[in-house]
Amino acid sequence: MTSQNISPVIRLPLAGILAWLVPGLGHIFLGDRARGLTCLVTVTVTFWSGVAIGGVRSTVDPQQRKLWFMAQLCTGGNTLGAYALHQSLKAGNAKADAAKSIGHWSSADVGVHYTGVAGLLNLLVIFDAIARADAVPTRRSRRKRTEPAT
Amino acid sequence: MSAQLAQIFTQGMTLSGLQRLMLMLPLCLSIAVIYKTTRCQRMQEVPTAAAVLWGTIVIGMFAVGIGLWLLFQIAV
Repeated sequence: MTSQNISPVIRLPLAGILAWLVPGLGHIFLGDRARGLTCLVTVTVTFWSGVAIGGVRSTVDPQQRKLWFMAQLCTGGNTLGAYALHQSLKAGNAKADAAKSIGHWSSADVGVHYTGVAGLLNLLVIFDAIARADAVPTRRSRRKRTEPAT
Repeated sequence: MSAQLAQIFTQGMTLSGLQRLMLMLPLCLSIAVIYKTTRCQRMQEVPTAAAVLWGTIVIGMFAVGIGLWLLFQIAV
């Protein structure tokens, strides 16, 4: 079953949700594999590079960086994974976390920019997937186009 | 192995000023690649278009930075 067989009412939001959950998956679902894989690799590498630069505790922090976290949330699965890692570490040693986040403030800022930009880039990917899902011709519309006018 | 891998993401890096400046380059590349991936009709066009856009962003940002630095030197 391809995406062309699915009704546009379902295909559009499904492409958007898939693109949010895993960057590029919306494009892959629509059959544009090369575009989807490019988005997947670029957004994921940018996001996790940011986490590696700043450290997950000070990079993905909804309490200290609310607006940045909203931008990061646009990468969906990546942010949820990073937030789960953040929570597991926080539960382990909260005092040490606080000391580290002050000590590494400059690299944390770079990391936050990387992850936030990755989120905003994925927002662009989500909108593009929805626009392409809208442009994909259904079987019925293609048949109409190819039938000669009577 | 897995502990070392986890440590990459749990402990932040210590960066110098030049390293922070250089980290702008891969971020600009990501922006250029994603923008051109969504804009280009054919995927074959993406590498060249992204490279041109990346160069434009980097040169433009360095030009703005140098311009503001010169303005700061003159005014202050």
